[in-house]
Amino acid sequence: MKIRVMIAVTAAKLAGYICKKMGRQGVTWAGKIALGICPDILEQLSSQVRKGIFATCGTNGKTTTNNMLCAALEAEGQKVICNHTGSNMLNGVVAAFVLAAKWNGKIDADYACIESDEASTRHIFPRIKPDYMLLTNLFRDQLDRYGEIDITMKILEEMMQKIPDMKIIVNGDDALSAYLAMDAGNPYVTYGISKPVIQSAANEIREGRFCKRCGEKLEYGFYHYSQLGDYHCPKCGFARPELNFDAEDVKVGDQLSFRVEDKHIVANYKGFYNVYNILAAYAAVRTAGFAGDHFQDMLQKFNPENGRMEQFRIMGTGVTLNLAKNPAGFNQNISAVMQDKSPKDIIIAINDNAQDGTDISWLWDVDFDLLGEESIRSITVSGIRCQDMRLRLKYVDIPSILEGDVEKAIRDRVKDGVGNLYVLVNYTALFSTRNILKKLEGEKS
Amino acid sequence: MKITIGHLYPDLLNLYGDRGNIQCLMKRCQWRGIEAETIPFELEDEIDFSKLDIVLLGGGSDREQMLVCEKLKEIQKDFKAYVENYGVVIAICGGYQLLGNYYKTEQGTMKGLELVDLYTEQGEGRLIDNIVLQSDLFDMPIVGFENHGGRTYIKENKPLGKVLYGAGNDGKSGYEGVVYKNVIGTYLHGPLLPKNPQLADWLISHALEQKYGKKIELAPLDDSQEKEANEYVYHRFVRG
Repeated sequence: MKIRVMIAVTAAKLAGYICKKMGRQGVTWAGKIALGICPDILEQLSSQVRKGIFATCGTNGKTTTNNMLCAALEAEGQKVICNHTGSNMLNGVVAAFVLAAKWNGKIDADYACIESDEASTRHIFPRIKPDYMLLTNLFRDQLDRYGEIDITMKILEEMMQKIPDMKIIVNGDDALSAYLAMDAGNPYVTYGISKPVIQSAANEIREGRFCKRCGEKLEYGFYHYSQLGDYHCPKCGFARPELNFDAEDVKVGDQLSFRVEDKHIVANYKGFYNVYNILAAYAAVRTAGFAGDHFQDMLQKFNPENGRMEQFRIMGTGVTLNLAKNPAGFNQNISAVMQDKSPKDIIIAINDNAQDGTDISWLWDVDFDLLGEESIRSITVSGIRCQDMRLRLKYVDIPSILEGDVEKAIRDRVKDGVGNLYVLVNYTALFSTRNILKKLEGEKS
Repeated sequence: MKITIGHLYPDLLNLYGDRGNIQCLMKRCQWRGIEAETIPFELEDEIDFSKLDIVLLGGGSDREQMLVCEKLKEIQKDFKAYVENYGVVIAICGGYQLLGNYYKTEQGTMKGLELVDLYTEQGEGRLIDNIVLQSDLFDMPIVGFENHGGRTYIKENKPLGKVLYGAGNDGKSGYEGVVYKNVIGTYLHGPLLPKNPQLADWLISHALEQKYGKKIELAPLDDSQEKEANEYVYHRFVRG
């Protein structure tokens, strides 16, 4: 049996190496090969993790939160395995373990931080049996692939109940996530923001308007954004749980800052939603039993470099790249962009490949009307479905420039723009756009 | 001139960018100087159909559709009278299923509004893809996206169009949607109306005609962007 593990590890490492040499992202291939040779490779490797396995789930913020948690555990002196690139289906998770293993099939790790696609939890959880599950939020996303949000919830609850000792670290401000944690019967801790901070756009689409427990319409004291906020059911008493980790004195501007427990957290990020990502990672580290004294230090150095609010400098133009793949995420992106009051150009690139979701109806659930503001000097639409994006803007009376080629769109704006460019892209446009930006950054003017 | 759009239960039936359909109808009225108003109805609201010129019934999750289904029994009579009297209805996805006699699933049978003589049965697997139709109502093809587990059988009724790409009503007949009097039912979202401006205008002109009792010629709009988006889908999936 051990020999099989060794062969699988070796073959997968080789495959990963070759793919890398060929300039491809070979992570999932490596996982597939390892599984083919040794079907229980994930059980064999993950069971060697000494202290605990975290699984990070939720529609938005998974990759950022999971990578931040990994960095936070490392800052506490722990050895951690993590699927950094966000390859979050079975093959990607297997690859993270295989590539971290030694040739003899041994794993040297205190913790594993595993981001898991919600639908893939059915294949991943029974194999790795996480000790903790971090649940960030549930929004509508890729309805063509996942079906309804109810289906996702059903899968997650099933997984929770299958691993009854798994402790849930849950966003208490999200009625859907909190309901799952309460209903499943697992132990749980909550994080959230108890007091209102920013004004939520009134016409946002909100999931889960009706109580999951009894069907009555939920009442809200306030909304943070989308359906996140202070909710309660007037009929059955279901309500936002008491928050174990509560971010107070939250300030959002060029930086984020807040207080949690006795700690003052400052991060060099824009975007209110990042408060949740940071808070989730903090709650997870604390739940694992650490004091979190190194958390702020870690944040100062933390640079995800994965196209989440990533900065580039191209011939004098500051470029910010950000992923926006569903209405809730896009709305948060727009409000982060609007926190920058200086003149700016925007490029929006929308693809409809399988990983993006082939149904682009969701564009119409984003509040693009907020982009009709004077500081925005131009909007260029790009990507495979640029025509749809242009039409979407037309119906909120915002004119746009159509340029299907992302590289050309960026070059044009760098040349003729105001020197402050935001590039908002959905999933499959992210890696290619990031490569383009890195390339342009390296070019001499 | 003024048009009033009744949006039925957007709290529950709001999957797949239905807002885009409302936005499209509103804008295409306003750009022509026609006043437009949308009234969103919640479950507890009374609906006076005599004050509505277009009714939009969208799609929801199965669970949410169940909640709506209960409510619909109460408004069935008024809704039926509205339809029989040539009131304009656009029903999409789940809303399309609700127009019919019933929707039979593994969990049981949901009774429909019985506004159009059709029925739906749950089939094996969901039909999910881009879809393109040719309708004899319009010269432009109709493009959109379908995502449904139900198979809808429209009996002797007239379909909205012939399927050029995609599955359609039941995945077999080669047809999609239904047209009955001034009712259009379809599985197409995307959303439906922005990329199909002729269909949007069909709804608007029939609503005006119904309200003002005479044929009203709609002022032309610059639809070049709508046409380009429509042609993109058509060429990608039909003409290769």
